Order: sequence, then structure tokens, then C-alpha cells
Amino acid sequence: MIATSNNGHAKTVEPDIVSILQQTVSASRLNCWLQCRLKFYFRYVLKLTKPKTAALHYGSVLHLVLQQWNLNRWRKQPFDLERLRQVFDNGWADQQQIEWDGEEAAQKASAWSVLERYFAETPIGGNELPEAVEVSVEADLSHHGLPVLIGVLDLVRSGGRIVDFKSTGKTPDNESALHQNGLQLDCYSILYREAAGKREGGRELHHLVKTKVPKVIVTETGPMQEHQRTRLFRLMENYVEGLERKDFVPAIGMQCAGCEFRNECAKWSGYENPTH
Amino acid sequence: MITLETNYSKKIGLPGYSSHQFSITLKSELSDISQVEAESARLYDVLQNSVDSNIQQVGFLPNEAKPSTNGNAHTNGNGHHRSIKPVEETWKCSPAQKDLILKITDENKLDKTKVDQLAQDRFGKGVKQLNKLEASGLIEELLEQTGQSKPRSQRFARGGAR
Repeated sequence: MIATSNNGHAKTVEPDIVSILQQTVSASRLNCWLQCRLKFYFRYVLKLTKPKTAALHYGSVLHLVLQQWNLNRWRKQPFDLERLRQVFDNGWADQQQIEWDGEEAAQKASAWSVLERYFAETPIGGNELPEAVEVSVEADLSHHGLPVLIGVLDLVRSGGRIVDFKSTGKTPDNESALHQNGLQLDCYSILYREAAGKREGGRELHHLVKTKVPKVIVTETGPMQEHQRTRLFRLMENYVEGLERKDFVPAIGMQCAGCEFRNECAKWSGYENPTH
Repeated sequence: MITLETNYSKKIGLPGYSSHQFSITLKSELSDISQVEAESARLYDVLQNSVDSNIQQVGFLPNEAKPSTNGNAHTNGNGHHRSIKPVEETWKCSPAQKDLILKITDENKLDKTKVDQLAQDRFGKGVKQLNKLEASGLIEELLEQTGQSKPRSQRFARGGAR
């Protein structure tokens, strides 16, 4: 084990953690790697944990209710708003150490109101049976010299349409949304093709926009194209090679403002990584 | 209005140089050309599943083509000898998923016909016909029903980290 000082707390790094991380990759891990390698180091190598933020809790509870709604349709159960409200209330109450700054009641009201708007405006019909709801899948990419891709598909609509739910504070622009979430959607396409043995029918981002008057924006795109697959594989190569080099340097920019590891980053001397 | 005509056909070999085939043709109407890709993918899935489930019934076979009950080789018209093995029911999911489904079923003493019925209810096909995606869904459901897994709907409650 290698001792590492971090934010005043001694942490240890498992000796083979890097090789373990090279064996599998997920969309969220790859996104973190591309966003900032030092953040990746804190989160996945040192495994530093942070209290849940209010925004994360908000999004988690939305997903929780949407999952229940999808499962209900999958089980051919009728739509029951009261039951979903119970799931919402229980999910909201299941929290610890969140700093609300006196905003919890307003945030909770906003979260339920955006869900109500989604149920009123969703393009998914009440009788539409999903192909899959929150299933764990993997794709062995070793024949490409790449790790096993792992992931969980939130929802696959009939016709193989892969859906990912997003909660956001700003009304999204379709082009930017597809660019920012492209890597995640391409990962899902690969996972779907491997698991279902056929090409997906399309990909959809369902944005639940928590503006004063809640909005629902659905961004649709077609199946993954060859150049998108090649691009994703190139990013995975970079992930594997960067981990091999233990290339954990920060990417400093606008995204640092919301980073949970800002304090640790400020204290990073450039030598606190497993190679030293 | 756009008319989408889809056809799925499959021909399979049978003992004694026989074969049989089955095809389904279906016409549907679309209001928008952007629906073609998703609709054709959906229809392909429906047609393939329908053909696959029906074509398994081979019906009449000439006497000399029927598998012998003792498994010995038999002679066909060309004088060649060919051993007819009983058709093994193959699973479409991964070996690990197959093992896990059987393990959950055995350990919890679940009725196999009920597990198969669950697969029929959820996916419109039997357990052995489930692909990896569907098998993953069935496994989650079996684990949840047997109390071995936290309900899927509660997993986001801790932060949704993937």
C-alpha cells in the first residue's frame, strides 16, 4: 500500500487499483477522466467520498421516481400518482448531511412539480411497454484491445430506443445536449448492441428542466454512427494509456467552480500520486 | 402517408436433407419518414420473434428422416450415414446469465414454469429465448422477488453513482 497525504488525512492506495481500473470502464468513469484526471484520481484511485450535494439529491430523487414509473409500466401496473408521490416522499427523506441553506422545502416542491410536468408531457404512452428498465449490462471490447465496458441502461423503450433522464436548471439546447452527452449515449449504444444482439432504434435525452415554470425537453438522435464508435474507442484508448502512465494532472477551467475536490486540488503539489 | 412493407423469412435444414421455411410479411403506415428507422427496428424484432417461435414446430417429416429412438445412425437415400442427435434447447443469453437464472431458481425452489411465465409476461418469450438484455432484466426481477437484491427503484436513493 502507498501512503498518500490528502487534505490532512492519510489515505492509502491499493497497489493494484490502477490495473483494476484498466480492466473495466463505464461512461461516468470515462467522462470523469476526460473532464479532469486529478478529479478522477481523487474519486476513483484514492476513493475520497464527499457528502451528497443538494443538486445531486434532487436529481437522484427524480430518477428514483422515474424508475418506479418505468417499472410499473414494465410490470403492466396502472399509473398511480399517489403511489409515486409516496416513493418521492420516501426518497426525499432518505438523506444525510445535505446543506440546504433553508431551501429544502422549496427544492422539494420544485422537484415534485417538475415530475408532474413530465408525467403530463412525456412522449411515452401509458401503455407503452419498455424493453428494459435499469438493467446492468457489459460489453467485452478486448478484441479491440480495450477494457470491458460496463453500465446500467435506465430505460429502453419499445423499438430499442435508449432513454437517459437528465435534470437540469437551464433549458438545454439540443445540439449542445447531444455533444455533451454523446459519449454516454455512445457507451449505451455499444452496451445495447452487445446485450440485445441488434442495433438500437435511436437515443433520447429526456430533460426535466427545473425552471420556475418546469419544462420537459426531449432531445432525439439516431443510432450510433461508425465515426462516433471510433471516436469513443479512441477516448477509451486514451483512458487505458493515461492510467498506464498514471497521468493524473488537473484540467483547470470553468468546471473547477463546481468541483467537490477543489480543496484537495489546491493542495496537490504535483507529486502526490502513486508513482511517487 | 408512407407505407412500410417488411418481410422476415427463415429457412432451416431438417434431418434427411429436408428443410422447411416460414416467412411473414407485414405492411404498416407511417405519418413521418423520421419514424422509419425506429419502426423498422421494432418490426424486425416482432417478425423475427414470431418466425422463430413458429418455425420450431417442424410438423410432418418423411419416415426415414425421423431420428431413431436409440440414437444410432441411419441411412439416407444417398447411402451416407448421418447420426441424428436430439435437438438441444440452447439459451440465447450468456452462459453466466444462464447459470445465475438456474441458481436463483434452484436455491429458492422456484417453479420453473412460473419463471418461464414471468419471462413470457415481461418479454413475450420463454426464458431460453431471452437475449442478454432481457435476461439481465429477468435476473433483477428474480433477485428482487426473492429478496436478494434491493429493489431497483430504491437504488438511486444513495446518490445514483454508477
